Amino acid sequence: MKRLNQKRIKNLWAIALLAVALVTPTTWAKETDQLVLDGSTTLGPIAKAFAEYYMAKNPGVNVTVNESGSGNGAKSLINRTCDIASMSRFMKAKEFIAAVNKGVMPVAHVVAMDGLPVLVHPSNPVKALTVKQIRDIYSGKITNWNQVGGPNLAIVMISRDTNSGTYETFHKLIMTHKVDGKKIKEKISKKAEYVGSNGGIRTRVQSTPAAIGYAGLGFIDKTVKALKVNDIYPTRETVTSGKYPISRPLFMITNGYPKLGSHTHAFVTLYLSEKGQEIIEDIGFVPVTKY
Amino acid sequence: MKITTRKMLDRSFSSFGLFSIVLMILALLVILVPIFKRGSTAIVFNGTVEHRRFLLERFERGDEQEMASEITAIQAAQKPVYDMIEHFENRQRKYLDALNEPLTKLAKRSDSIGRLTKRRLKRLDKNKPFLTNVKTIQKLTDRLKGHVDSDNIQAEIEQLDATIQKIETQTKNLVELKEAIRELLGPAPGETRPVLLRKQYGQTRWDRAQVKLHEVLYIEKWDYSNEGMGRKVFEPRVEHFRGTEIEPLFDYMETNTEAMLRPQLTFYWGFLTDKSMDIHIFGGIFPELLGTVYLTLGAILFAVPMGVIAAIYFSEYARPGIIISFLRICISTLAGVPSIVFGMFGLAFLLNGCHLPKGVLAGSLTLALVILPTIIRSAEEAIRAVPRTYREAALSLGASRWRTVVTVVIPAALPGILTGTVISMGRAAGETAPIIFTAAASVAATLSLNPLQVWDQPTQALSWNIYNLCTEHEAANEIQHVLFGMTATIILVVLFLNLFAIILRARISKKLKGETT
Repeated sequence: MKRLNQKRIKNLWAIALLAVALVTPTTWAKETDQLVLDGSTTLGPIAKAFAEYYMAKNPGVNVTVNESGSGNGAKSLINRTCDIASMSRFMKAKEFIAAVNKGVMPVAHVVAMDGLPVLVHPSNPVKALTVKQIRDIYSGKITNWNQVGGPNLAIVMISRDTNSGTYETFHKLIMTHKVDGKKIKEKISKKAEYVGSNGGIRTRVQSTPAAIGYAGLGFIDKTVKALKVNDIYPTRETVTSGKYPISRPLFMITNGYPKLGSHTHAFVTLYLSEKGQEIIEDIGFVPVTKY
Repeated sequence: MKITTRKMLDRSFSSFGLFSIVLMILALLVILVPIFKRGSTAIVFNGTVEHRRFLLERFERGDEQEMASEITAIQAAQKPVYDMIEHFENRQRKYLDALNEPLTKLAKRSDSIGRLTKRRLKRLDKNKPFLTNVKTIQKLTDRLKGHVDSDNIQAEIEQLDATIQKIETQTKNLVELKEAIRELLGPAPGETRPVLLRKQYGQTRWDRAQVKLHEVLYIEKWDYSNEGMGRKVFEPRVEHFRGTEIEPLFDYMETNTEAMLRPQLTFYWGFLTDKSMDIHIFGGIFPELLGTVYLTLGAILFAVPMGVIAAIYFSEYARPGIIISFLRICISTLAGVPSIVFGMFGLAFLLNGCHLPKGVLAGSLTLALVILPTIIRSAEEAIRAVPRTYREAALSLGASRWRTVVTVVIPAALPGILTGTVISMGRAAGETAPIIFTAAASVAATLSLNPLQVWDQPTQALSWNIYNLCTEHEAANEIQHVLFGMTATIILVVLFLNLFAIILRARISKKLKGETT
């Protein structure tokens, strides 16, 4: 027993020495600058591509991207746990007040435009819907595809979760309408299925022939079909001109205007550079200006 | 009669047992075989020249001269493709050139129409890509149409329109074709280098290349002519280019893809040691692997000392009573709590309460809490299993209680404690929910190898990033091999940890037996 112990103690010492040797030349001090982004999953592809681009250009800067939803992005900014909140909607009044009360002054930078394509399975013969039809589908008044010119198939509604900015936009632009000059907010039917991410919506729609869903422009591919809304297809032109009814800006929100020359400033103005715009366009979103 | 019944029951029970074991093995095979089969394609695959070019340019691996000769070879093979496209464009360009005359006439006008046309004419440039020029004319036509006194220039507009329409259908098809070819082969020679990495290279894998080749040759369409749902049909793209310079391109591409991409069997070990490039479309999973290792080791570092000390207290010092039984129940309950609850606790207590930064430390602490109950229980069981005579012998020799525990009981219980620890390591490596809020990030710099620098850095981790890529990645369908590669890796990590536990346990108990007898 004793021999064993001695041997083990020797081993322990060896490990401890090795650890010390590894650590000694470096210090506790941080060598890297951190830039933390939190928020929207719609902005995820832009934020991630920007982060990789920025880290490649500025070695020594650690850009972290979290995709937890616009609501969480706002919370993180208010709690000062992130430098940039990427949000697919603007802050709500409540969030804004909470931020100001905590001494955080939200400044919005619109980095790109997005049109929310309404997605169906490509095998679905329906090609276009009006805003009213979409509203009726999501509020549960239209329940079968044959009511909008499709096959006899019960509609499966897929929506984003309520924490998402995409949900807010959809709610504001589709579900809210004016009747006799009064704003009425339709409720999304209880039968709707809620999904936590844009990619999740696409996965759900591509595997369900009867499904309808909505996601950011950057998430469309061949596995889903985007519909014409009010006879307009979401393209670069129709989104920037606002002709496409579900168009919206995508924000990056900082606490105050970032200090000139800081990494935060360089990062949130990346979208103004030609390369930044090219990235945005190649991912599938709409750049703010025509470069 | 009685005996036969009993025998029957006995047999049926053992056959039932056998059956369930076979079922279990089958289930295991059904789950594991596809994962490993598809996961291995992340490392062993038919890599194209684009993969080698990527490795050379981004990671400086490979032979530069060999690469240069390879590139000349593929450029020679690709040249006919680009030549055909250029011929086609040149012919289309002539239609545009015919517009020069009416346009210069319009530009001579002194009103706003003239100024507008002049501005647009300046943008027309023979050296510019053909399609850019088409767009310029298109825009000009649109603007002219909207002009107040467009009646005066009706004839010119009609001429512009007719030409544009002639070109339009052809160019639309051409744009699609060029895009499909670019996705397969990478940017055409002379094109400006795109910023996004995924646009800089063609297909790096032969299996993906074949998918893309199919997209070059066929257009995916949906046929809605029947009642009900549509049917997928593939329309040969060549139909759009019958009788043009591009017609032979399709046959050429189909027969010469191998010459253009030169696939060879590749062992890409860098999948485990390279960082990811362009969000996992290229490169490997090293940051994820390292993050998982850090989080797991961190969790063990915190949980094992606490767990073992608690176990010692429970089994050696505590007097049986209500409080102790209550605590035991608490620990058992804690072991059954869903891990997302620990995640929420980590967020509420560690991040929001103690203001720890989101990072490895917070994640490790949360994971430590997840595995703590298991470690306490297994350590306690192991300590209890040490025969009483060991303790009595030590105490009778005059050793104090503490000394007895440290020198006799713990060494004897070590195999059990270690097994519990290593199995918990497997659990910590695989947990996703506790680290969502406390440590995980979709993109972050690779962690430093110095543990003291990483404690406040968020990190990627295998478990979380598998989920993240599956649900969040904009090109999830294109990177299936990475997803399965990650999944296979994490299963292998857990498998090796468990194997390590078994071997360690066997060795230590052998040693202990050798010492004690």
